[in-house]
Amino acid sequence: MWAGLFLQTLITGLSIGGIYALMAVGYSLVFSVLNFSNFAHGAVIMLGAYVGLALATKLSLGFGLVLAGSIAGAGIIAVLNERLAYSSLRRRKAPSLYLMISAMGCAVFLENLVYATIGSRFYAFPEFFARQVISVGGSSVSLLDVGAFLFALAAIMGLHLFITRTRTGIAIRAGVSDMTMCSLMGVDLDRLIAIVFLLAGGFAGVAGVFLGIKYLVYPTMGWVTNKAYIAAVIGGLGSLPGALAGGLLLGVVETFVSSYVSSVMRDVFSFTLLIAFLVWRPNGLWGQDSEEKV
Amino acid sequence: MDYILSIVILACINMIAVLGLSIFTGFTGLFSLGHAAFVAVGAYTSAILTYYYYVPFYLALAAGAAAAGLVSLVIGVPTLRAKLRSDYFAIAILGFGEALRVILENLEITNGARGLPGIDGFTTLPVVLVCLAGGVLVARNFLRSRWGAACIAIREDPVAAEMAGVRLFRTRLLSLVVSAVYCGLSGGLLAHFLSFIQPVMFTLVQSTQLLAAVIAGGMGSISGPLIASFVFIGLPEALRVAQMWRLVAYGLLLVLIMVYRPQGLMGYSELSRFFRKSGNPEGRSRS
Amino acid sequence: MTAAGRPLLEVTGLTKTFGGIRAVDRFSFGVTEGSITGIIGPNGAGKTTVFNLVTGIYRPTEGTILFEGEETGGLRPDAIVRKGIARTFQNIRLFNRRTCLENVLTPLLQREKFSFAGALLGTPGTRRRERELHDRAMGLLASLGLERFADWQANTLPYGLQRKLEIARALATEPKLLLLDEPAAGMNPEETRSLAGLVSEVREKFSVTILLIEHHMDLVMNICSPIVVMNFGALLAAGTPDEVRENPDVVAAYLGKGKKSHDRTAG
Repeated sequence: MWAGLFLQTLITGLSIGGIYALMAVGYSLVFSVLNFSNFAHGAVIMLGAYVGLALATKLSLGFGLVLAGSIAGAGIIAVLNERLAYSSLRRRKAPSLYLMISAMGCAVFLENLVYATIGSRFYAFPEFFARQVISVGGSSVSLLDVGAFLFALAAIMGLHLFITRTRTGIAIRAGVSDMTMCSLMGVDLDRLIAIVFLLAGGFAGVAGVFLGIKYLVYPTMGWVTNKAYIAAVIGGLGSLPGALAGGLLLGVVETFVSSYVSSVMRDVFSFTLLIAFLVWRPNGLWGQDSEEKV
Repeated sequence: MDYILSIVILACINMIAVLGLSIFTGFTGLFSLGHAAFVAVGAYTSAILTYYYYVPFYLALAAGAAAAGLVSLVIGVPTLRAKLRSDYFAIAILGFGEALRVILENLEITNGARGLPGIDGFTTLPVVLVCLAGGVLVARNFLRSRWGAACIAIREDPVAAEMAGVRLFRTRLLSLVVSAVYCGLSGGLLAHFLSFIQPVMFTLVQSTQLLAAVIAGGMGSISGPLIASFVFIGLPEALRVAQMWRLVAYGLLLVLIMVYRPQGLMGYSELSRFFRKSGNPEGRSRS
Repeated sequence: MTAAGRPLLEVTGLTKTFGGIRAVDRFSFGVTEGSITGIIGPNGAGKTTVFNLVTGIYRPTEGTILFEGEETGGLRPDAIVRKGIARTFQNIRLFNRRTCLENVLTPLLQREKFSFAGALLGTPGTRRRERELHDRAMGLLASLGLERFADWQANTLPYGLQRKLEIARALATEPKLLLLDEPAAGMNPEETRSLAGLVSEVREKFSVTILLIEHHMDLVMNICSPIVVMNFGALLAAGTPDEVRENPDVVAAYLGKGKKSHDRTAG
């Protein structure tokens, strides 16, 4: 009997972990290329969810199109976000403090704009998966959970292939080490950065839809992204495999704590986990020790 | 009249917290979107002390401020170490805000999410003015002291600061604790003015307002954020703007300021500059 | 053996790797007290990395750094500053939005013990000591000819004076060893000559040993002895200016053939 609960908890944990991983990947991608924390990421996730919701309810589109629409919508929003709020700061070589403030400003602006215009009502996605359950190892597990986990895995592996195999992807990784060098060598930095944000936004869109389906859609849902930041730190800031590992780890461990200890203490637990990592292993599981070039 | 009085008192209470955040963000250059948590710690600590244990008001205020300072160590010690970027602190304090809210909503003594009503209204205008004046004086002295010079050096250039003998970790931590103490004091005053506090009063919304005042008023200035804070509290009340639109404005303001005028209103100088004869015609602030 | 002439800084087998790159490769050299020692070498030779290692910004991967006989490798930068090593930076790192006076005052303040409560309350004792330090800071600015600019925001100063200010700030830490990273960068020949004079003057007035990195050969050959040459992170040659100038390895790697110099050697 307890094996059933264990498995269910594990699958749920992996599913929420997958969503955390999707969120963390978008954040880590921007972090690794532009070297700052894009705290507006949560707002993009939220907007992705709303876009998906609109497509699902107003246009009655099926799941696939809803997902595609969110990916596109959130991607475009992310690129706009970069252009309007970050690009001039980046060109001025403003300190990362300024970028973080601008990012927060965007988050607060977008979130409250939605709150003020669309309203604070919690919306639900139509039942795409009709609460289907499948049998895994003798216990019932939600199809949505399994699907979300597998999709997250596939998407992140796809990103990994893109980053390591394609020319643009390699250019992005090179951008990690030296932006000035890149621009000297004729790489179109603006285009590269737009692609990075498009990707980050795309992942945000997926995360938003999954979150919206699993739970609900509301203006402040972006703050779940705090978990993503914690996951990214655990995995190693700026590392993509780290974002995946950190997300899954956080999701699973959190869900176990929630099931077996107390669901209320979940947020306290993740904060404690963060502090523990910062004390003992600040570079996370995958991060490298970096020393500033003087 | 009473209404205007209460606006003034609220503004002054807010100014004390803004002063604290100004030391941390404006003068030490560290980002925080979670200082409302320290306000909460101060508010709840002092309220619990006066409400349940009949501790004298001033003692409770001091205890609240001290508690906030101590709590800030929990976040500061792991995250402000010299080798760690400020992003870690930002993430940690966001996480802390969430964790604190959960704790406050689930403890017996805080009365949970319903909040703590019936707190004595000890906060009056003279009390607040004295605290504010004292706070400004202490802040000014702090900033001219060796610790303040160290904070500002870190803001300008952490590497050069170390080469000037500044201990990065200790200074950042001190800056955090000082800012938390200010916020805790503000919280204690708030609790005993509103006579009612609940966890939802100390969230990201409040942290955003604090940060907006610091940025709009100008980093590196004491008078600037104080002025901005007063305007932010007073103006929306005067215009009867709904809470959510205020936040839309704050968010937009933050972005616009960063993009077009990062130094905000006063930018690295004080109101007193306009009353002093300028000895340096070339000294225009550049960011 | 007199005190002047003992090795102030001894670097042995110093190595620093970044990922796969050996920025500094088993580098050994010494700086005698009272000298003006120069480090030269092509770009990327590892000179600034050596400075960063000596001042604690990087930890050595291998090797030792002895300052006054004490191991300093791996210590934090502010601890090393307290031991008596100061530096300026290739890209000038001033406290830009602070005044010149405040730039110099900051290190002076860090060296003093103040009572925290006293400082917060603004007691007369604290005020008096702050004024004393204020005067000392002014004195320091004056000894470098910068007293006129005391209230100027540091980044509004002309470039050459910003470099001087950085030196003044470094001197405020009362160092025994002063590291100057390309102090003549961006200067014309006249400014370079004046800088040469300043460096010698500073050594005299402040009794400080000087170690400098430079590309301006006239400056280096003029005031430095000995000169250490680096290439690919390792020691290429060391000796007096004449010895270095005539060393064929140095000529090939760095000085180049047919380089114009003020005193042409015959042939």
